Amino acid sequence: MIKLRNVSKIYPNGARALSNISLEIAKGEFVFLVGQSGAGKSTLIKLLYREEVATRGQVYINNANLIRLKPHQVPLVRRNIGVIFQDFKLLPTKTVFENVAFAQHVIGKNKKESKASTENMLELVGLGRKKNAFPSELSGGEQQRVCVARALVNHPSLLVADEPTGNLDMETAWGIMELLNHINKLGTTVVMATHAMQIVKQMNKRVVRVEEGKIAEDTAEGAYKFGF
Amino acid sequence: MAFDSAKYVLGQSLISLKRNIWLSVASILTVMISLTLLGSSLLFLANTSHIAKTFESQLEIAVFLNDKLNADQIIAIQNNIQNRDGVAAVTFTSKDQAIINFQESLGSKSLLEDLGGVNPFPNKLTVTATDARQVQNIASQVLGIAGVDKVRYGEGILEKLIVFTGWLRWIGIGVVAAFSFASFLLITLNIKTNLNFREKEIQIMRLVGASNSVIRWPFLLEGLIIGLFGAGLAVILVGTGYSWLLQYIVATLAFMPVVADQMFLMLVLFIMILSGMIMGALASVFSIRKFLEF
Repeated sequence: MIKLRNVSKIYPNGARALSNISLEIAKGEFVFLVGQSGAGKSTLIKLLYREEVATRGQVYINNANLIRLKPHQVPLVRRNIGVIFQDFKLLPTKTVFENVAFAQHVIGKNKKESKASTENMLELVGLGRKKNAFPSELSGGEQQRVCVARALVNHPSLLVADEPTGNLDMETAWGIMELLNHINKLGTTVVMATHAMQIVKQMNKRVVRVEEGKIAEDTAEGAYKFGF
Repeated sequence: MAFDSAKYVLGQSLISLKRNIWLSVASILTVMISLTLLGSSLLFLANTSHIAKTFESQLEIAVFLNDKLNADQIIAIQNNIQNRDGVAAVTFTSKDQAIINFQESLGSKSLLEDLGGVNPFPNKLTVTATDARQVQNIASQVLGIAGVDKVRYGEGILEKLIVFTGWLRWIGIGVVAAFSFASFLLITLNIKTNLNFREKEIQIMRLVGASNSVIRWPFLLEGLIIGLFGAGLAVILVGTGYSWLLQYIVATLAFMPVVADQMFLMLVLFIMILSGMIMGALASVFSIRKFLEF
């Protein structure tokens, strides 16, 4: 599913974000990326949805080599990857329904097709009754649910999440984690960068710890020991 | 599928124009002001050059010929002058015609008789130049031709007129340049405001896998619509403003040679509409270009 080989990322300003990282994630896995701020988690996440391109090494998603993609192929790869963020990134001038349907319209699905799948997805994330609300009328947790719905509406095989619970209180965060877990059980691979160790501990999934741009620890499901 | 996409793109453009109504209004006003400036400065330039040209076209060189020349010699001199660089036209006025013209201008019917049958007018060639600055040069060349007695070209006035019309043209060009720059600044400012509003939207479109053309089209269309509305308002302003000004000038400053050609005015207004749409579309494309690099 995901294969990183000897990947390094150096930003144009000279900052070295990742050094010679190799990582494999199988289809259907749920993986946490942990580590301190600035360790390179977000850069790693960005390499996965091709927001950044590795300076050295190879990045494969579903056998597609992201380093060698031609610009017009990037949108096609992205359609198979859902992304959610700490700051939601919803369009404030669109309703909940439109925010989710938008993701389908821009890839060419017609209104009829998108209406049914948008409604299904909003039901899945528990927002069926708020589809006509604008993001500003929703709580943080609800906004993140809209993001999850948007990320999943095109049925991607991979969901990457960069601190999705960072702006939420614990209870709301758990709601989101249950949702992600549910989606993972339906077959979607999930890679999530987080600081919330409480969540990592309780979820008991595979944990990859990034430190100073390198993988410091890669622990199989259920084996992660807490102590930093 | 293609129809659905087109409908979607148009729908998105209209919804976005409506939801960002104040931004849309600000953009339309920006285009309107820019094009009003551009249109007015074009008309100003056209009029200043027209005035300069009219004044300059009235400059003529009068070449008085020796009375002893026969018809063939006169034709030879006429051809000689006609073939020189910078000469636009040479017309011949015979001494017989000259006295008739003069007689008519005096309202007399018996001038030749009154003068005792002697016609004091010489044969004359009237030379016009393609460029007023050539007049002096042509005049001195013509004076050197055998059979030419005297050359007159408005010495003294000519030099001052050329300086004046030169200034008039530069002022016209200066006004167009200054107003174009002002328009450019206004539009740039507007694009920057637009960008701040739109950055997030484009970012999300890219994130969910929209191709560049899908991202570009609604913006392009929105730009076109804004440009069209802005240009429409500017055309109304400039069109009615200029017509009013023309009427005023014709009524009060009749000697002023203004451009009153309807076709020309239509052309300027058409250029404004076209520039408005191009400006709007280009502004949109340029403003999102940097977000479309993968």
